Amino acid sequence: MSNDTLLWQIRHFVYQHFADTTLPPGVDESALHFHISTEEAGEYYKELNNRHAFFLEPDTFSVRMAWPFSAVPTDFIVHANGKTYYANCAWDMLGIPVVLKSDAVMEAVCTESNETVQLEIKDGQITNHQSTNYQLLIHFPLPFTRWYHNLIFT
Amino acid sequence: MLLFRSEEWIEKWYKRNNLERGEVLTINQVWELSKPWYDNRLSLEYHGRSVEEAEEIFRQVGLNSAFWHM
Repeated sequence: MSNDTLLWQIRHFVYQHFADTTLPPGVDESALHFHISTEEAGEYYKELNNRHAFFLEPDTFSVRMAWPFSAVPTDFIVHANGKTYYANCAWDMLGIPVVLKSDAVMEAVCTESNETVQLEIKDGQITNHQSTNYQLLIHFPLPFTRWYHNLIFT
Repeated sequence: MLLFRSEEWIEKWYKRNNLERGEVLTINQVWELSKPWYDNRLSLEYHGRSVEEAEEIFRQVGLNSAFWHM
């Protein structure tokens, strides 16, 4: 694997596939799209994982996270463009309408109270659909220096 | 990053899990941070960003504490 241009084209393909379908392409799908072998596509996937361009499930070629998108169901749900996406965390939930450049309705669960809250992004403004006498908060557990030490916890 | 209804629920969560305290931002602050952070993710030209570029985004939205710096 020595083609940096192809490396970033594959990254772009994975992200665009997520945006278009709500899920990442399999490594075989990427191989087919770029007319390369599955083994070669796997090498590019590993390199993109190493560069934190996306995050593979350990010891697989399955994309788990391509920020802000999640390939697995989470407590952070985004309805946009007639599709339903999962975000990796509360911050990523707000990132999805930015990436898609669209309005969105979002559902998230308060970690401690387990209450589901609904939010809306419309014309670039955020609205809390719950009672307006409290301000929703997002907790960042780790400082920036440690964000890549444990991506699932972060 | 987790969502909470209020500071009270965060305190309960810390105590129940015996965790060290991180940084807490309002949903509006995180929305403002999300705009520059995720703006160009679908671009073919996006190849990640340097630490300095990330810190500049934090500064732009008023996140100046040590938590947001290398």
